[in-house]
Amino acid sequence: MTATLGNSLLQLALAFNVFSLCAMAFYLQNSDHRLAQASWRAQAAASLFILVSTLALLHELLVSNFTLQYVARYSSAETPFIYKFGGLWAGMEGSLLFWLAVQSAFILLVIVQNRYRNRQLFPWVVITLGVIQLFFLVMSNFFENPFAPMPSGAISNGMGLNPLLQHPAMLAHPPMLYIGFIGFSIPFAFAVAAMMTRQLDSIWIRTTRRWTLTSWLFLTISIIMGAKWAYVELGWGGYWAWDPVENASLMPWLTGTAYLHSILIQEKKNMLRIWNMVLIMLTFTLTIFGTYITRSGVVSSIHAFAATKLGVWFFMFILFIIVFNTVMLFIRRHDLASQNRLESFVSRESGFMFNNMLFVAMMLTVLWGTMYPLISEGITGVQITVGSPYFNTVMIPLGLLILALTGIGPLLAWRRTTTRSLIRNFMLPLLLATAATILGAVGFHILLIYPLMTIFLVTFVAATIFIELLRGIQARRRLTGQNAFHALFGLVHRNRSRYGGYVVHLGILMMFIGFAGKAYDKEADIAMNLGDIKTFGIYDMAYTEYWMETANTHPVERPNHAAKIARLEVKKNGQAFTDLNVEKRFYTDQNNQPQSEVAVKSTLWEDFYVVMGALDMETGRATLKVRINPLVSWVWLGTFVLLIGTLISLKVDAILWRKSS
Amino acid sequence: MNFQKKFILVIVAFAVLLIGWIAVDFKSQEVPFISVEDLLVNYADFSQDRFRLGGNVVPGSITFSEDHLTVQFRLSQGNGVLPVTYTSAAVPDLFADGSEVIVEGAYSDGVFQADNLMTKCASRYELEDGYETMDEDKI
Repeated sequence: MTATLGNSLLQLALAFNVFSLCAMAFYLQNSDHRLAQASWRAQAAASLFILVSTLALLHELLVSNFTLQYVARYSSAETPFIYKFGGLWAGMEGSLLFWLAVQSAFILLVIVQNRYRNRQLFPWVVITLGVIQLFFLVMSNFFENPFAPMPSGAISNGMGLNPLLQHPAMLAHPPMLYIGFIGFSIPFAFAVAAMMTRQLDSIWIRTTRRWTLTSWLFLTISIIMGAKWAYVELGWGGYWAWDPVENASLMPWLTGTAYLHSILIQEKKNMLRIWNMVLIMLTFTLTIFGTYITRSGVVSSIHAFAATKLGVWFFMFILFIIVFNTVMLFIRRHDLASQNRLESFVSRESGFMFNNMLFVAMMLTVLWGTMYPLISEGITGVQITVGSPYFNTVMIPLGLLILALTGIGPLLAWRRTTTRSLIRNFMLPLLLATAATILGAVGFHILLIYPLMTIFLVTFVAATIFIELLRGIQARRRLTGQNAFHALFGLVHRNRSRYGGYVVHLGILMMFIGFAGKAYDKEADIAMNLGDIKTFGIYDMAYTEYWMETANTHPVERPNHAAKIARLEVKKNGQAFTDLNVEKRFYTDQNNQPQSEVAVKSTLWEDFYVVMGALDMETGRATLKVRINPLVSWVWLGTFVLLIGTLISLKVDAILWRKSS
Repeated sequence: MNFQKKFILVIVAFAVLLIGWIAVDFKSQEVPFISVEDLLVNYADFSQDRFRLGGNVVPGSITFSEDHLTVQFRLSQGNGVLPVTYTSAAVPDLFADGSEVIVEGAYSDGVFQADNLMTKCASRYELEDGYETMDEDKI
């Protein structure tokens, strides 16, 4: 019943969507405002239908209606309640519907915000968002219908959710990634509208500023969350492997970050207008491409491309977007040309330009490495892959260059910077950075080039930020006579996007500290018998106990799996440090598929990380992979700082305050 | 030459440098993904010394060393079967008889020394043929 409702609503949404597009097309012909109104109302209705349809699928998942093929595939009676939600995006059909649901929520918001504003842009925004919605609606209705019944009728139990997805981070990561991905379609829609109506000043950018920043924030956090999930759930010891799926989320992030910076120039100087168009179009295309890569499996082989009907459709859609964008840019090239020109290498404008170039270069590097296996297979018939070494050799230096610009750019003056102000701004940070680097080399025996460069640049950038803050505070104190704390508060309050940006930069610095720690990872494969004590670096591990827990003994914690557990008592420098329980789980609803649960003890300095390879329940013999991962915590901590910085820029508290008063 | 042109020149120079560097770097990082048969027959013809192979684990062929730190198994794909050795305390969770794996490493004396063992589905987290499995076991 619920499923029928969901299915019908999905069809109805398609009908309303098509009507909305037609009505708006007629409105553009004859300017009858009733048509425009009918159009956006129809699109709002379609969006509502999609949301209710998604709730219907969610309901079926939660009540385990195994007459639906989708529910039977991605859920089982034993699947813990909370992870039944995860079934919504575990498979292709559900993710497409979920994609639609997120987009529909955004469409509703855009309609509510803009229906009586931006009169010229709005119709084209509705059309653009409608076309995107149409594509996914067609996919959902005709190719990947989540409400398709089981061909063989109802079955007693489903297959359950993949154990890898049964992790809190995997409940939050996919929705946040989708919010980030789909959020970029809003600035894109306004960009298209600006192109169509020739309103190419910065109105479309200002209208979507908050959308852009919010999407970027969600994308950033979801990428880090995915990394955290890989770190604790996949059990190979790291958090980033340049996997195609990871790359798929990183590429739009890179261009989106470039866009975030370069729109500042258009707002201030009305420059880089073509460039901003290119960046938002690229970012949007990459989010669709990312969705496609993640869901289609095309990257595993070029042959997977034809294996799903969906692949071809997605490919056509992406092609359509690219062709459309290119044609639009070509037609509007004269309108987009800006009057202001760059005047000097050492100017804020140039700083932003270099920043953009680097981000785009990084995106192309990732794109090339991700697609190379397919390209080589297509041309020569032999798939040639390049792994982490390729990405690391290119991306680390580019990343360090961006890091350097993070410090230099914000302190350059618009148009051109005098040598005197260069010395004034950069002398002290350079001295501090040099001192820190020497300290790192001599005091901590850091002798690798990239970690040393990271120390230098992180100190340099941090110093520029803090000096800038101090100067601002001093100036404000002289002006207003406030104390330092009040002056700081006032300073940030008066220019939130600027100082929020600095805080984001501080977060990025912390993440770079974490990345640099990677150079000092240590790993050992260790076999232990009960009672053994093994030494790894400054750690001594004593293997003291092992046991088994099953669904019978622990029905609440382990409803759908059994676990072999080994207990390790760890000492650091001879002092008691921590006790770790390392687990190997076996998911009974998934043909006893094994799943390692990593045990990690994190400190600011380093993580002590253990994965169980095997545990023989008769002899107690355990094989363990033990790792020391220095500074990993800084990546997660940096993300929190970044979050705070973005919230400052977004003026979230101001919105909340306004709403509540 | 006006500044705009200079700027473009710098960007172009940077791009050329980067592309050149990637091209050079690429040659050394290339790992051909070939079939087991191709490796056995044409090994001598390849200029690269690292390879990536895909195939299925021959059921019953998995043996662990005494300390359980090294695993040996036979990888089969089409008509080719190849013994593989992989040293690690933790094999991927999905590694089992018959599972689809990708190995990366070097080939010498009739044995493939893998330093990377990946199980299929790593990037989709979805069971490819799960449906069949379900029909057999659950209905």
